[in-house]
This record gives sequence, structure tokens and C-alpha cells, in this order.
Amino acid sequence: MTPKLSRRGFTGLAASLPFIGMAKADEGWSAIEKEASGQTVYFNAWAGSPQINDYIFWAGLELKAQHGITLEHVKLSDTAEAVRRVRDEVTAGKADGSADLIWINGENFRTMKRERLLFGPFAEDLPNFALVDVDGKPTTRVDFAEATEGLESPWGMAQLTFFGDFANVEEPPLSMMELLERARVNPGTITYPAPPDFHGTTFLKQVLAETMTDRSMLAVSVTKEEFVEASAPLFGFLDKLHEHLWREGKQFPPTQAQMTQMLADNELLLSLTFNPNEPANLVANGMLPQSTIAWQHDIGTIGNTHFLAIPINARAKAAAQVTANFLLSPKAQGRKANLKIWGDPTVLDLDKLTPADQALFDTTSTPGALLDPAPTIPEPHGSWVPLIEAAWLERYGA
Amino acid sequence: MKVKTIAGALPLGVLWGLPLMAALVLGVVRGVDADAWRALFEHPQLWPALWLSLFTGIAATGLSLLCTLIILAGLYRTRLWNALQPMAAAGLALPHLAFAIGFAFLVAPSGLLARLAVGGTQPPQWSTIQDPWGLALIAALVLKEIPFLLVTGWSALSRGDQAAHLDGQCRAAASLGHGTGSAWLRIVQPQLLSHLRWPLVIVFVYGSTVVDKALVLGPTQPPTLSLVIWNDLNDAETATNLRGLAGAFFMSLALGLMLAASGLMKTFMARLARPLLSAGPSLASAPKRVAAILGGGVVLLSGVVTLLLAVLSVSPRWPYPAIWPPVTGTKAWLSLFATPAPLWTSLALAATTAVVAVLVAIIWFETQDPSRDRYLLVPALFSLAIPQLVIGGGQYGLFLTLGLVGTPTGLFIAHFTPVMAYVAIVLAGPWRGFDNRYMAAARALSSTPLRNVLRIKLPMLKAPLLTAAAVGFGVSMVQFVPAQLAAAGRYSTLPMEAVTLTSGGNRSLTAAYALALAIPPLIVFLAAGLLGRPRWR
Repeated sequence: MTPKLSRRGFTGLAASLPFIGMAKADEGWSAIEKEASGQTVYFNAWAGSPQINDYIFWAGLELKAQHGITLEHVKLSDTAEAVRRVRDEVTAGKADGSADLIWINGENFRTMKRERLLFGPFAEDLPNFALVDVDGKPTTRVDFAEATEGLESPWGMAQLTFFGDFANVEEPPLSMMELLERARVNPGTITYPAPPDFHGTTFLKQVLAETMTDRSMLAVSVTKEEFVEASAPLFGFLDKLHEHLWREGKQFPPTQAQMTQMLADNELLLSLTFNPNEPANLVANGMLPQSTIAWQHDIGTIGNTHFLAIPINARAKAAAQVTANFLLSPKAQGRKANLKIWGDPTVLDLDKLTPADQALFDTTSTPGALLDPAPTIPEPHGSWVPLIEAAWLERYGA
Repeated sequence: MKVKTIAGALPLGVLWGLPLMAALVLGVVRGVDADAWRALFEHPQLWPALWLSLFTGIAATGLSLLCTLIILAGLYRTRLWNALQPMAAAGLALPHLAFAIGFAFLVAPSGLLARLAVGGTQPPQWSTIQDPWGLALIAALVLKEIPFLLVTGWSALSRGDQAAHLDGQCRAAASLGHGTGSAWLRIVQPQLLSHLRWPLVIVFVYGSTVVDKALVLGPTQPPTLSLVIWNDLNDAETATNLRGLAGAFFMSLALGLMLAASGLMKTFMARLARPLLSAGPSLASAPKRVAAILGGGVVLLSGVVTLLLAVLSVSPRWPYPAIWPPVTGTKAWLSLFATPAPLWTSLALAATTAVVAVLVAIIWFETQDPSRDRYLLVPALFSLAIPQLVIGGGQYGLFLTLGLVGTPTGLFIAHFTPVMAYVAIVLAGPWRGFDNRYMAAARALSSTPLRNVLRIKLPMLKAPLLTAAAVGFGVSMVQFVPAQLAAAGRYSTLPMEAVTLTSGGNRSLTAAYALALAIPPLIVFLAAGLLGRPRWR
């Protein structure tokens, strides 16, 4: 712990006192910081939430003041936009790309890694990476069963979480079986987003994890034949569930956002999210009532990490790394975790922080906060996803 | 003559034709992929989704045409006629997505109507939105397309020369014993329909390919084909993107076939209708009462939807069965005004593209033989008939090669391409329908050609010119897909902000942006309506 901390403290100093002798890594980092000053980082990040946009705006002010970096938030409605843009630019031989930093994970990362569209490895050389809880939160180095190999820097944690109004769900369903029971009792009030919406697919993965006999299969690649057998319980369950769902399972909301709106309108009993703190944040922002509760299934729920990656053709690679490092700092992570600001769970290990840095994390609970966190079920291997989506579409798509 | 023809076609060719053609070629090249087509035909939703798309497109077009004809017939040559344009323009200004959000909140099971009519603690189990037949989507399309067809129809009939003509013909018919309805049916409507042909094509194509509205109101299992394509194109995997592109071409083909079929239908119907049109006088009067009910209904619904949007924009939470939101706040509006740059960018682009498009169109019409208009109108319609993602994708490929990505020029062309197409289509009918005897008379008075155009033709065509400019302005204000690709994150416009925020589902914020998108075109349309009034009425 101590060497890591001193290194952090030292790099802070190094920026202002460049003549002091230093370890090679630090020398490298201060060179990067020096190069970064004056650069503009075009940060391509999903921008569907004003809270998140405000947070990124704040980060921009900090980066300007601390490092002389200008942060421009390129607002995306879907991260795949940035993936396609980088791919098109690289294909066209454009070396000065339009994106410097991308908020990314899962399929988008796998695609960029496979197509060699990413700069790096850089992530584990960032000074603040030493603070990341790589042991307690293994998904900070494994993104949807894909090793990150330093090509992306962890930013925040996510885990499938359900939420609703306590006035309507006093005893929330803590498993898929209980959810089915609840759907029987309150027909037409439960649903899930239609895959390939990200949350809809995650719901199916959760059902798969809860119903299959050998869950260890999920960690490895699956063939079509194996999938048919392994997914039989999943579709058996859905066949039973659908008739009790909203619109008798013949229509599904297209997005999680719409489902949450339907919950807010009292049309549904519950909604789901990947950010365990989103319900609390929605309460703080007045979209959901104070009596909102959040829960996860007893057995655990699908969880993952979201990251920051630098495209191979980024113009401001140095400033992008400094930005990623700043966003890993206790100050930035603490603010991000604050339920009233964003509520995105930290990737850091609080035990590695100084008491002063720990104090940056506000742990007071607020209405809508998740009270009883369940274990994380890692994301299935990437080969499962297209098979699940195709089989679902085949059965329920038309 | 030859030089003049070439020079007159130049602005259009350079600013619009060439980039469009290049974009199309690049888009088509990207769409040729055997595996992608195979995957497309294996997609379980392809056929049901296609039928659904065609059904929504045809139903929306047919119903909006029917309502438009009734309203115009009922109001023609009445005192309300001149009030029609600003009213319809107001309805036209509200963006489709904005209308869809407000409309959804009106009719959804947890919406305002259910709150008023049913109440209780739980919303009723209605299928009023996202119904499997796409009826909610059709209804919302019809309510938005009626104003569009009314504006184009109105400006065709109110054109200085034509209005006087038709007026005379109607008087003559009346003296021959035709009732108002009979005169409309046999004199005005056939002329009107020929002006409405291209606008109807736009309505059909838009109704069959719309994405944002279908996301809010349309069914999901299957969704309309445009959503199937949209999902594929949004994927990170190249193979899935290519399947989406193949789907987009497939859809364009299907729409093309439909349009060709409707062209044949038209000839056939015209033959059937001939005896009716040439039949002797009848006393049938204009359907004033039905027109009033229909027109009133559209105005009322549009007004309610706009009001609902205004209320939604200040209510973070408005749960069932509350008739009024429990808390209100201006947070959404404050966050909109905290970043005003996208608004200014959008306004500047809309104003420039609309003015340039109208000028370029006038230059074209004045220097080209009418027979050459097909070189303008066919690509224009084609560009609108192809899903925007294909054009946008091709255009983006072009801009990448030319280094125009993320530049003001690229952004301008991305906006100008659809604006020019709309302006050309809206203006072609009125311009070519202009009674050239006025010009012949002017020439006989030995005035110069330029002077004739400026002093006689432009003032007489004031109404359609202003309408075209306003339509162009409105089209530019809502450009998203190609604009976003061309901007590459270097510029942001109001729709880009709105669409990204919509992806987060914050309804009050979406409503605020929807209204912000509606207000500038509304002002422009109203101004166009007021300035475009014939002076002699």
C-alpha cells in the first residue's frame, strides 16, 4: 500500500518539480502529462442522462484546471456509433481520428479489440490503476469474459438490479421463480425490454444463469448444439412467464428507459437497471417516489464493469491517458459514486485509500438505494449472446 | 441557351447532385454483400415486419389524403380558407418525435385519457400504444401528415394565378347549376391531386420508414421493418451492419415497387373516374360540417398534444392516476439553456440551407426546360425514399475521402441534401403550374426576362415560395442521422442533443427539447403563412 501511495503523491509533485530524479515509470508518466497539457480530448460517451453529462462537464473543469486539458463530451446515444466511426476512419487511413477516449464495454470492446482498433496497453500503467480493486472486482480486468489486457481502463461497476415502489412491491421477488409467481398474481404488470436491447438481453442471461443446471458452462465458448440443450430451461421458463406479462408477452417495451418511464407512470410494478444506484439517483432527481426500493436476486445477478478506451487513431493519446487516470482518482470516483450526483459504483478498493481519500466517498444511504447487495454473476462468454438473441427472436419475434 | 442551361444547373449539381450521387454510389457499394442478403432473408421478422411497414405507410397515406381532401373541400372559398394555412403550418412545425411523445402520453394505458375516463389505482390493460397492428403509429402519422398535405394543397390552390383561375371556373360551374361540392369534385380536386402527387409519395415513404416515432408508438413483436434495420445498423458488428444495409436496400426496393404499382393504379382510377368527372351538374354541396369536425379535431388534438408536452417538460414525475403532476420544476429547461450552442448551430444551418435551397431551385426552374425536371425530382424523391442511414452512410464515406468530416462544409451538405429535395418537390408543382400567359403578357410589354421573374412571377408565387422555405427550414431543424455522422462529434445540433437525451428516457427533458425543436419552425411557418397571403384578398 505505502509504495503505491507514495508513487501517487510523487507524480503529483513531479509535475511541478521536474528536475527531481525519479523512477522510470514516473518519468514516463510525467512526460505523458507534459505532452497532454494543451491537448483537447474528444470523449465519446453515452449521454442519455443529464446527471452523467453534468458529471463529465465537472471532470472537464477539473482537467482544465489541473492539467490544462480541454475535455469535449461527444454525446452518443449508442456507443456503437463511436466504434463504427473509428473503424471507418481507420479503414479510410485517417490517422488523426475524431475520438480520443470512448466509454465502452462488452460487445463494443470485444469488437474493437478483435479488429485492433485500440491503443495500448496503457490502462495498467496509469498511476491510479494501483488503487483498483482487481481482486475483489475481477471484472475490472475481464470485460464480458474478454481479458482487457490493458486496452481499457476501468471506470465504474454495474450489476443487474431491479426496482419498484415499496407501496406496490412490499416483498420484492428475489428470484426468477418468485418473479413468475408475482406475474401470476399481478398479470400484465411485469415485462422486460425486447432483446437485442442491452437490458433485455441481460434479463435473458439472468434467467439462463438462474435456470441452467451447470452454470460454469457460461464462462466458456458454446457451440450451437450445446446451446440448444443448455438453453432449454431458459425457454421453458419464458414460455411459462410470457402469458402473465404486460400485453401477455406479445409486445415488449423497446428500451429499459421506456420501462422505467412505465414504472414511474404506475403501468408496471418494476423496472431493471445495470446501475445499482440508478433508482436512488432517480429518486433524488424527482423521477421516482421516495418509497422506491431496489433489490437484486438472492443467487446473485449479472454484473460487469464499464471502461475507458483510447482508439488507435486518437490524436490526443497523452491527454486521453491523463483523463482516464484522473477519472480513476479518488476525487473523481468519489464524486461519481455519490448518489445525488451520478451514483455509479467505484472500481477502487476503498481499503487502499488514505482516510482523507476515503472521506471523499459519501456512504450515507438515500431513498431508493440498494440495501442488500447480492453476489456478482460474471457475464457469460461472448459466444452466448448472439445465440440467445437469435433463439429469442425465432421464438417470440413475430 | 445552352450556356444558360448548363450554368443554371451548376449550383444544384455542385451543392446537391454530385454529393448525393457519390453518396448513393458509395452507399450501394457498401450494400452489396451476398452473406448479408442471405442473413437478411433468414431473419425471422423480415416478412411480418415488411407487411407491417407497408400497412402503416399505406394506411397513413390514404387516411391523411382523405381527411385533407375533405377539409380542403369544406373550407374552399369560405372565410376560413386563409386561416387554414397558419393553423396547418402550426401543426406542421411540431416535429414527429415530439408529437409522438405527447400523443403517447395522451392515449397510453397510463395516459391522460385513461386517467380521466377510467381512473382507479392501476392503469387499464389497454393496447392503445404499441398495438400489434400499428394503429397508434398510423393515427399519429395521420395527425401529423394532414397539416403537411393541407399546407401543400393550400399553397397550390392559393397561388396568385391559379387561385383567380379556379375562382372563375367555380363561378362558371355554379352558374351551370353545380353545387359547391360538385364544383370542388369536378374542377378543383383533379387539379389539386396532381399537385399532391409528390407530397403523397413523401408521406408514404416517411410513414413506412419512420424510426423514432415507431419506437415510441409502434409494435415490437414484430416491429416495423425500419426498426429491424435500425437495430442491425446500430450494432457494433460489421456483419450485422451489413445485414441492416441489405435490409435498407430491400426496403427501398419494396417501396419502389409499391410506388410503381400506385402509379398504375392512378391511371386506372383516372379512367374509372372519368364518367363521374364529366357528369352533368349536381347539387352536392361541399362537406362543410364533416370538414369542420375533422379540421377541428386535428387542431384540438395537436393543441392538446402541444400543451401536454409543455406540462410534461416541467414535471419530472407524473404517475397514474394523477390528473396534474404532483411536483413541477424547470430543471429540464434550465439544462437546455445551459448549453445553447447546439440551438444556435441548428438555427444557423436551417436558415442558410432553406434560403440557399430556394434560390438554387428558382435558378433551376428558370433555366431548365420543364421536361428536365425529372432529373431533379426523381433523385430528390429517391433520396427521400432511401432510409437516411444509407444516404448518411454513403455521404459519410464521401466526406471521409474528401476530408469534410467534422467541418462546417460537411455539416452544411448533410443538411442541405434533404432540404433541397423537399424544397424542390414542394416547389415544382406550383412553379411549373404557373400560368405562363402572365409572362407572355409581360414580355409583350417588352420588359426584361429577369425583371419579369422578379416583378411578376416571384410575387405571384410568393405563397409556395415561402412555404417551401419554411418546409426546408423545418426539415433542416430535425436532421439527425446524416448530420450526426458528418459532424463526427465536432459540432452538435439541437436534434443530436435531443436524440441522445431521449436514449436515457428522461421524459421531461425530452419534452423540453421537443418543444425547443418545434418553436423555431413554428415561428417560420407562421411568418410564411402571414407573408404569403394574397394581397388582393
